[in-house]
Amino acid sequence: MIVTADSIPVTRAAIIKEILDSPLKINLMELGFLPGKTITLHHSAPMGGPMAFKLDETILALRKTEASLIEVQLL
Amino acid sequence: MTESTIPSQVKSPKIAIIGNPNVGKSTIFNQLTGLNQKIGNYPGVTVDKRTGSMVYHGSNYEIIDLPGTYSLYPNSEDEIIAHRVLNQLSEEEKPDFVLMVIDSCQLSRGLFLATQLIDLGLNMALVLNMADIATRKNIAIKTFEIFKALGVPILSTDARGEKGLDQIRELIHQQNFSKKSSFITIEEVVPGNILNEVKEKFEFSNSYQAYQMLRFGEKDKTISLENRSWIKAKLEETNFNLEKAQLEETKIRYRIITSIVEKAVVKTPDVKKESGIDKILLHPVFGYVIFGGILLVIFQAIFAWASVPMDLIDGFFAELAGSVSSLLPEGPLSSLITEGIIPGIGGVVIFIPQIAMLFGFLAILEDTGYMSRVVFLMDRWMRPFGLHGKSIVPLVSGVACAIPGVMAARNIGNWKEKIITIMVTPLMSCSARLPVYVILIGLVVPNELVFGFVNLQALTLLGLYLLGVIGVLFTALLLKNILKTEEKSFLMVELPTYRAPRWLDVLMTMYNKSKTFVFEAGKVILAISVILWVLASYGPPERMDSIRAESEVKLAQATPEEIPEIENETSSLLLENSFIGIMGRAIEPVIRPLGYDWKIGIALIASFAAREVFVSTIATIYSIGADTEDELTIRQKLNQQINPITGDKVYNKATAFSLMVFYAFAMQCMSTLAVVYRETKGWKWPLIQTVYMTALAYLSALLVYQILS
Repeated sequence: MIVTADSIPVTRAAIIKEILDSPLKINLMELGFLPGKTITLHHSAPMGGPMAFKLDETILALRKTEASLIEVQLL
Repeated sequence: MTESTIPSQVKSPKIAIIGNPNVGKSTIFNQLTGLNQKIGNYPGVTVDKRTGSMVYHGSNYEIIDLPGTYSLYPNSEDEIIAHRVLNQLSEEEKPDFVLMVIDSCQLSRGLFLATQLIDLGLNMALVLNMADIATRKNIAIKTFEIFKALGVPILSTDARGEKGLDQIRELIHQQNFSKKSSFITIEEVVPGNILNEVKEKFEFSNSYQAYQMLRFGEKDKTISLENRSWIKAKLEETNFNLEKAQLEETKIRYRIITSIVEKAVVKTPDVKKESGIDKILLHPVFGYVIFGGILLVIFQAIFAWASVPMDLIDGFFAELAGSVSSLLPEGPLSSLITEGIIPGIGGVVIFIPQIAMLFGFLAILEDTGYMSRVVFLMDRWMRPFGLHGKSIVPLVSGVACAIPGVMAARNIGNWKEKIITIMVTPLMSCSARLPVYVILIGLVVPNELVFGFVNLQALTLLGLYLLGVIGVLFTALLLKNILKTEEKSFLMVELPTYRAPRWLDVLMTMYNKSKTFVFEAGKVILAISVILWVLASYGPPERMDSIRAESEVKLAQATPEEIPEIENETSSLLLENSFIGIMGRAIEPVIRPLGYDWKIGIALIASFAAREVFVSTIATIYSIGADTEDELTIRQKLNQQINPITGDKVYNKATAFSLMVFYAFAMQCMSTLAVVYRETKGWKWPLIQTVYMTALAYLSALLVYQILS
């Protein structure tokens, strides 16, 4: 089963395996969401709101639907 | 380094500053240019064109501050501009040199854009900004490694601390920029023969530029139709998958960058965690409570502080009109100037304190990094209504004034979400509605307590604010289902490290936004106010003349005590018989079901200039005189108005509530109209908005009157 970034528990780290195909793929990649990078869930907005991931030195907020385009492996 | 490519010194060299969002690009721009800035427009889009000049050792340089972007691939209007200027597609803005600003802590993301620029063959230099934060985070950068890999000059700065600014000035002055052949070989992802055809067709010498044209030229409206169809045909003919090529390019680029960064960056593990503040500010409960608290403080401040300069401006223009009219001979020219143009300009200037203060606060919130947290918190609650997390800023501003709100909608990248935000923001209850509400509530709502502690008048006022919010949500939902767009809505926003605001940047924002408003929206506002003045002061000549003649006869016989009363009566009669008066009578059949007579009709038309004009127009109609400060007098007069047919009070509960609801929804503000015109680049949306809001106001007021009467 594919694990995607929207299912990472808070403060848990994961390694990006692949960015799934979608029109937003390029946007995610240019922000630095690249296979091999480690991301940590920094914070999650209530009621299924956006999720903020720590990637390198930055915190980037994505909607759940966008996070579900990032295939990860939990660490 | 390389020789200068400047033509003989007729023009000063043009330097474009570019970088990712939040890297301190604008701080560098502000420091370099100071107050020598100009705000213009790029053709066809609402993106501000910020240019400025820098004088250093007697030489003059033109600096362009480009909108922040993560790559050359455009996603929003802002990024299209960066794309166009850097691809040198617009002859007018072609930069001679490019200064690329990178956040030292975000080296790889910055290098992504930087290497694209290198591939475009631009003459450039890199600035590694925020060196202080990198040091604090235990990040050490070996700039020489980066220089070895890229071959362009590199500076390390801390623009907030004003460190390294002189080096930037010196670099620009020495024209110490350089050009590299390429960073990646684009032919690896796009067949060279296609690129060569594009190069030939558009007379490009650079392959990467040809690739960019191939990728985005089709969507760029500034490129001629013929060329666009040529690109389209070429793509179809070769059956080439551009998106795949773009992904491939991104991968290759990042692979090389990662190897550079590995060599150049030494990072000692960071022990302390910075997420402490976010635990509170992004808390599912306290996060919202704190946001509400901050809003409350901001509005308190705006209402308390803005009223002082606004009163001064008001007084100044009244005095100016007075002294000009005493200087000029009486006549149409004098009254055009003193009653049309001067109050018209005053009507523009009066908004400056609110706009400047609101944008000041917004800039502080933005600069500290808090604003993107608000977007993060609110996005989930905005989306069901077709709005974006970023829509919260315009909506909240709308409580003070819709004008800065509409102006702030510019940051929303998605067209549909931006239009919905602009359309609904004027429905928020702005401060100009307050005087109308106060008069009418005082008239029909008793000043007593319900449940022992809630003031009924305050409760009514709160209800009107809620009504505005309901109007916003209803309209947004409606538009969400009507408007169609191919664009996908997304939220990808950086939550920057919390920092103290940069006051120079805050001041520049306040100054620039006010200036934009005055010069861009001001023209429309001035034009409408002159038209309204003509309609209110002219009428069929015979009637107007006979009123004046009668009044002179009366004045000649009157005792000194009677004179003010006669003058008030005369101005009331003149207004009734002016074109606006005639229009007011003409619309009476239409507004009678709302409980209004023709006198209220006149006030409705006149207050299209601005809602608060309702109060002064009503005062003139009922011959109260110019002193509208006295709310009690107005209230007493209104209370005495009797409907000649039914014998009932004109301002009964049903009519007053119907009027309040009408003012809650109607587009009674030409300044908002002018700003919407500016922000949507045309008359289509402001017209739809006016018709819609008027219809909404009419139907709601009709409903309220029919239920209450």
